[in-house]
Amino acid sequence: MLVAKLIDTTLCIGCKACEVACQEWNDQEYTLGTFDGSYQTMADLAPNFWNLIKFNEIEKDGGTSWLMSKYQCMHCADAGCIAACPAPGAIVQLANGTVDFAHDNCIGCGYCITGCPFDIPRLSPKTKKVYKCSLCSDRTAVGLEPACIKTCPTNCLTFGERDEMLRVAEAKTVELRADGHKDAGIYNPAGVGGTNVIYVLKDAKAPESYGLPRDPTIPWTVQLWKGPMKWLGSFAFIGAVLGTFFHYVIYGPQDPELHGHKDEEAPHD
Amino acid sequence: MTNGWTDVANADVVLVMGGNPAENHPVGFRFVMEAKRLRKAKIVCIDPRFTRTAAVSDCYVPIRSGTDIAFLGGLIHYALETGKYQRKYVEQHTNASFLIAEGFGFEGGHFSGWQGTKYDKTTWQYELDAQGHAKTDPKLEHPRCVFQLMKTHYQRYTPAQVAEICGCTAEEFVKAAELITIAAAEDKSGTVLYALGWTHHSHAVQLIHAAAMVQLLMGNIGMPGGGVNAQRGHANIQGSTDMGAWNMLPGYLKIPRANQTDIDEYLKATTPKSLAAKSLNYWGNTPKFFKSLMKAYYGKNATVENGFGYDWLPKISETGDHSWGAFFDDMYHGKLEGLISFGMNPIANGPNTGKMLTALSKLKWLIVAENFETETAAFWRAKELAEKYYAKIPEASQIQTEVFLLPASNFAEKDGAFVNSSRWLQWKEAALDPPGAAKRDQEILSKLFLEIRRLYKKDGGANPAPLMNMQWDYARPELPLLSEVAREVNGVDLTTIKQLNGFGELKDDGTTACGNWIYSGSWTEAGNMMARRGQGDPTGLGLYPQWAWSWPANRRILYNRASADENGKPWDETRAPLKWDGERWRGDVPDYKADAEPGSLPAFIMLPEGVARLFAPDLVEGPFPEHYEPAESPVLNPLHPLVSSNPMLKRYSSAPDKFGEAKDFPYVAITYRLTEHFHYWTKHTSSSAELQSNFFVELPAELAAAKGIASGDMIRVRSARGHVEGPALVTKRLRTLKVKGEKVYQIGLPIHWGFVGKVTGPLINNLTPSAYDPNSGTPEYKGFLVNVEKI
Amino acid sequence: MISPEIRIPRFDAYERVMHWMSALSFVYAALTGLAIWSPKLYWLAALSGGGFVIRGTHPWAGVIFTAVMGWMFARWAKTMGLDADDRVWLGKMEKYATHKHDELPESGRFNAGQKMLFWSQVLTALGLLGSGVVLWFPESAPRTLRLAAIALHPLAAIGSIAGIIVHVYMGVAAVPQSMRAMLRGYVVPEWARFHHAKWYREWRDANTLQKP
Repeated sequence: MLVAKLIDTTLCIGCKACEVACQEWNDQEYTLGTFDGSYQTMADLAPNFWNLIKFNEIEKDGGTSWLMSKYQCMHCADAGCIAACPAPGAIVQLANGTVDFAHDNCIGCGYCITGCPFDIPRLSPKTKKVYKCSLCSDRTAVGLEPACIKTCPTNCLTFGERDEMLRVAEAKTVELRADGHKDAGIYNPAGVGGTNVIYVLKDAKAPESYGLPRDPTIPWTVQLWKGPMKWLGSFAFIGAVLGTFFHYVIYGPQDPELHGHKDEEAPHD
Repeated sequence: MTNGWTDVANADVVLVMGGNPAENHPVGFRFVMEAKRLRKAKIVCIDPRFTRTAAVSDCYVPIRSGTDIAFLGGLIHYALETGKYQRKYVEQHTNASFLIAEGFGFEGGHFSGWQGTKYDKTTWQYELDAQGHAKTDPKLEHPRCVFQLMKTHYQRYTPAQVAEICGCTAEEFVKAAELITIAAAEDKSGTVLYALGWTHHSHAVQLIHAAAMVQLLMGNIGMPGGGVNAQRGHANIQGSTDMGAWNMLPGYLKIPRANQTDIDEYLKATTPKSLAAKSLNYWGNTPKFFKSLMKAYYGKNATVENGFGYDWLPKISETGDHSWGAFFDDMYHGKLEGLISFGMNPIANGPNTGKMLTALSKLKWLIVAENFETETAAFWRAKELAEKYYAKIPEASQIQTEVFLLPASNFAEKDGAFVNSSRWLQWKEAALDPPGAAKRDQEILSKLFLEIRRLYKKDGGANPAPLMNMQWDYARPELPLLSEVAREVNGVDLTTIKQLNGFGELKDDGTTACGNWIYSGSWTEAGNMMARRGQGDPTGLGLYPQWAWSWPANRRILYNRASADENGKPWDETRAPLKWDGERWRGDVPDYKADAEPGSLPAFIMLPEGVARLFAPDLVEGPFPEHYEPAESPVLNPLHPLVSSNPMLKRYSSAPDKFGEAKDFPYVAITYRLTEHFHYWTKHTSSSAELQSNFFVELPAELAAAKGIASGDMIRVRSARGHVEGPALVTKRLRTLKVKGEKVYQIGLPIHWGFVGKVTGPLINNLTPSAYDPNSGTPEYKGFLVNVEKI
Repeated sequence: MISPEIRIPRFDAYERVMHWMSALSFVYAALTGLAIWSPKLYWLAALSGGGFVIRGTHPWAGVIFTAVMGWMFARWAKTMGLDADDRVWLGKMEKYATHKHDELPESGRFNAGQKMLFWSQVLTALGLLGSGVVLWFPESAPRTLRLAAIALHPLAAIGSIAGIIVHVYMGVAAVPQSMRAMLRGYVVPEWARFHHAKWYREWRDANTLQKP
């Protein structure tokens, strides 16, 4: 059964309770930030900070709006991090859809950072391994909801069976459209096979204003590397080995002895 | 709150004004979101700043800080003008029909009876008949009835006038008014959520009165999803208010004045007389509440013969004032010996830090009981720790004050009850023992008390009686259990030695003892009601009567009798907290006699007139709220420039009590709290320090552009009292306002930093003025003048 | 007669050290790289302490390799220029493969095939270095660069490794005595005359004493 986290951005009040819950449950080390001209806790995610509320001030139709949205691992069905990961078993996809890092197997190459279309994983300079939201796999394994969901005071965050979450999200967008938000919609990008973190957006036509990429996909260079290039490489290596071997079998070594002596003074041609 | 957090989910309209619950009450705000999600409620947010609450509102209108009464007055005008008010409710449940004495009026900024420095309130009284009851005109037509006087008073508050004062546009005002007055329909209700954005003004109490008037006109008082709801800041600030203040004994009983020389005089002066024929006038029971309190204080020592120990109670002189501004002014003038600061950080909390630092340095001793070394405990190092702000404060070596910092336990290290905004007393258990040498609050207080009494017994001293007669019969006198205290607060029948079931059982003959009459019923013979966690909801209105215990009498919605008309028919059948079944009122605990027939008593049993007050003569600056400018304002009052600010404004005249003018300090400043922090406390904790590590100053984009300031640039904000420095946060969320045709800019100043803690920054109260509301004594932390410069 | 006892110096000690430094670092980088390249070859990582270790060591092997390549470039770049004969040689490369030496122009110190290997290795080393640095510090490089590097690095490695497989074959099996040349530094005149006639003559002219 697939599970999903539903983020109804229309109900987010930017209280950051989910940030603290995430920090506490995952035993993260707290750090002091520098002022970056915004209400955001920090400018970006960090190896010890997996869940960030982004604050975006938008000027639209002469009015100001202040969009707050949660930014964390999307737990994609076709996960770019998994596609890019070279270390077997370092990133696993659980039966419920969770994309989880197994840090014993992580080699810290950071390919997942490049493979991720949402720019989520972060490399720790301390442990030299990569970290991101685990969808609290240690909680979901025993039937608890993720820590962020548990703490959310406004029901902005809900968690459950993926189909149910999609149904709730759909109902909410219908409501929003009826309320005059004609561009309301669900963010569940098809380019990565859908995500197990689903957003309800008032303006689904401009996901960028919430800090979400418009059409995330697994990068083609990652696909090239993991697909055709494997064949090309295998062909080249095996070809080279076999080619040279059979060359030897057919022609033997380039040995002057075999070609007979020539008078050193004789003109070469 | 008249209602409660869970009840907010019943609202059709949520007016958030003078508060920012999304940021400062995010957990309570879930019920606002529930109303929005499930009832499709409209959220209207009126605030000088575009806050996180504004971000999720359906309608946001910016106003100039300190002009809320103009906006609410405008709403009253709008409702009366358009007829969008609940006429029957106003007729039956308010004093709209009451006649006021001849000569009442309002002119040039003053109500009738102005005497230069104060009011003679003779003309503000009801016209009484021979029985001493107020005369009424049920048709609301008499020119001296409250309704007509109100109509006249608010005639001036047109949308155009509101826009001119508040700085928004008239269209914005009307759009908000249309949404708010949805609640005028009998089957709609609207709630008002407010907090320090209203109380931090020099006309704060009048402002809340104005909100109550709006809610009465909409028929929202007593209704589920209605009410006037103060969101309390600290987990137990409601409890601390309920348990008394400088001028209040527990349960809102007044502290005796020096001229009330015996108990009879005191009770005569403080027990109200009924003003209407059928009025229940519940405060008429004041003698029972007071005498039971005295029995709780002095036990067997309180007797009928000695006036229940009345002489042992401290008295305040007839006109004495010991509110914040007054006692710090006294301290500044060297009139105080010492200060015990418990769970409080005055240096950070109070206005005009420079004055307070000087004041503390004049004390002989200062005791601070706290979890951390606070600014108050470290006040003598202010110059060393933050010289750029406190260059004029004496060096540590010049300060003679002896400071004792007592390590106190944290909230998680003690049991007891928190009283939340909903008036729920929620009992909690201790999670941890206090660390190290830290002691529980009651242990610190008991040991102090017992030691002082021991020294008195040994060496003698002035006025020993209050100390010696105090009842202190706890199992371990030096460490009373909070359960013992809670049982004492609930009250005991002294003849049967049984816990009382409620304040209905209190007697005025000395046979009952009760530490706080409004809490009576919280710990009965059935046990600790506050520890209950039942989740049943028989009315379906989210009242949860089995969850903890709500004062008074476990009533969840105050004035709930007003949710039905005089004949007992609910205004909205789908949302009736009370129903008359022919014998009794069922549902919530009735704010009425439980078996009184619907028409037998008027609905507001706590008031001597039996109905709610649109016209409230007990407030000091007038019976109707009037817009007055803050003590420092960029403009003169457009309504009456000669009486611009509150004529009863409380202010002091010591050297540091300076006020600035618009020519030197052209911008309006607002202090406020952020989600990420709790007061000056969480800068000591890692998680909150991470969430918001830095002090900053919010600047309107237009002003910043004119001054060449970009986000992150260091700036200095200066008022007549002092200055602060920090990086600018430039935002379009702070809109430029147009007041009387002039541009007004507002500057945002979050409060949470200071000179000690994991993260530090300036104390924002370096800037704030020592101007106070005359009714409550609350300082004007919002809407004062500053200037801004790039460093 | 050319005396087989005559030793013609082919690679001096610096060159031999240089070559073998590059060879060792290359093999290490290649094997660890292959481990990261394909999960099927991930077992190779175990040869050097596992994935986490090789993620740290592989870039350093690459740094050593490219540094030596730089040295090699400084030393050999001039010699590696193609002359007219080389171009003819390249056109008839299959004659070399099929041992029809008589049909090929004579070679200098390095034949055209070796030169092409040199240049291809220089080129791929540049590619490996550029993309490698980007992959080394993923959080310091813009994403587009990283995306390019993720494809470019294995592409360059494939070219480089394939070339080296052929090179190893040539050195170990196809051209007897070349291993000794790289290990001990000298060749015999007959070998030199056969494989690098022009170079041999230059040597002979410069060392007339060696004539019988």
